[in-house]
Amino acid sequence: MKNKVILFLLLGAVAASAAYLLLRRESVPAPVARITRDGALLEEIDLDKVNKPYSFTLEDGRGSNTVQVDQGRIRIAEADCPDQVCVNQGWISNGTVPIICLPHRLMIEIVDGGGGLDGAAG
Amino acid sequence: MARPAKGAGRLTRLALLTAIALTIFMAEAQLPALTAIPGVKLGLANIVTVYVMFAMGSRDALLVLSGRVLLGAVFSGQPMTLIYSAAGGFLSWCVLCLLGRLLTKKQIWLASPVAAVFHNLGQLLAAAAVMRSWAVMAWLPYLMIAGTAAGLFTGAAAQALLRRLDRLGKS
Repeated sequence: MKNKVILFLLLGAVAASAAYLLLRRESVPAPVARITRDGALLEEIDLDKVNKPYSFTLEDGRGSNTVQVDQGRIRIAEADCPDQVCVNQGWISNGTVPIICLPHRLMIEIVDGGGGLDGAAG
Repeated sequence: MARPAKGAGRLTRLALLTAIALTIFMAEAQLPALTAIPGVKLGLANIVTVYVMFAMGSRDALLVLSGRVLLGAVFSGQPMTLIYSAAGGFLSWCVLCLLGRLLTKKQIWLASPVAAVFHNLGQLLAAAAVMRSWAVMAWLPYLMIAGTAAGLFTGAAAQALLRRLDRLGKS
């Protein structure tokens, strides 16, 4: 009896996760990349307004990350951390999962800049 | 189950199990990452954790687990990972303690995936605390599915191990 309840809860959690991943809205009307370190905002980049790809390096006492920006997408091209999780994640272009560099406490997330609504209205 | 080992016998057995868990952990760390999703892995070393929990009890499981987590962070050369594995390990140990009271040795295959999911949850909570942002929880649905799959596998392995050692009268 107890094991059936536990099994049911586990399967429910897995099904809910799968449903969430399948049904979520992926596209962001006006993607804005927010780069934060320790929760504090470093940069905000309007990804739709990027015409030429460029890159820059963010450095502090913990290490450095080279961020590459392209139209509608962003990635970490290089990092001097041992695990390279952020580099391996590659480009992100929607709000589903942020790029997180745990060793340097750096995060890049894509949020909706709200420009989409203005554009539609105008 | 045979009567619990005491004194030097228990110490030897715990040391041996910690060494086995650490070896499995280090061997698995050499494999390339399965996916780009951080935290997705088989967690084969937890076969030992789950085995000790059901064969020897929660106290011994905590000893083997913390020994493996501490030494694993030292040997892998990434001391920063200690926060995440300690948080995940401790939370999953708490859940395993609870499940150990509710479930029998024949239901390890069920206890293990639940513990695995809580292991991932503990890691994400630690990461959220370090990053000071809840955005890391975006990984939770992926880890929930991957953790359940990995937990079923390690649980089945621990169950097979327990059954065979029981037959040998060594459990």
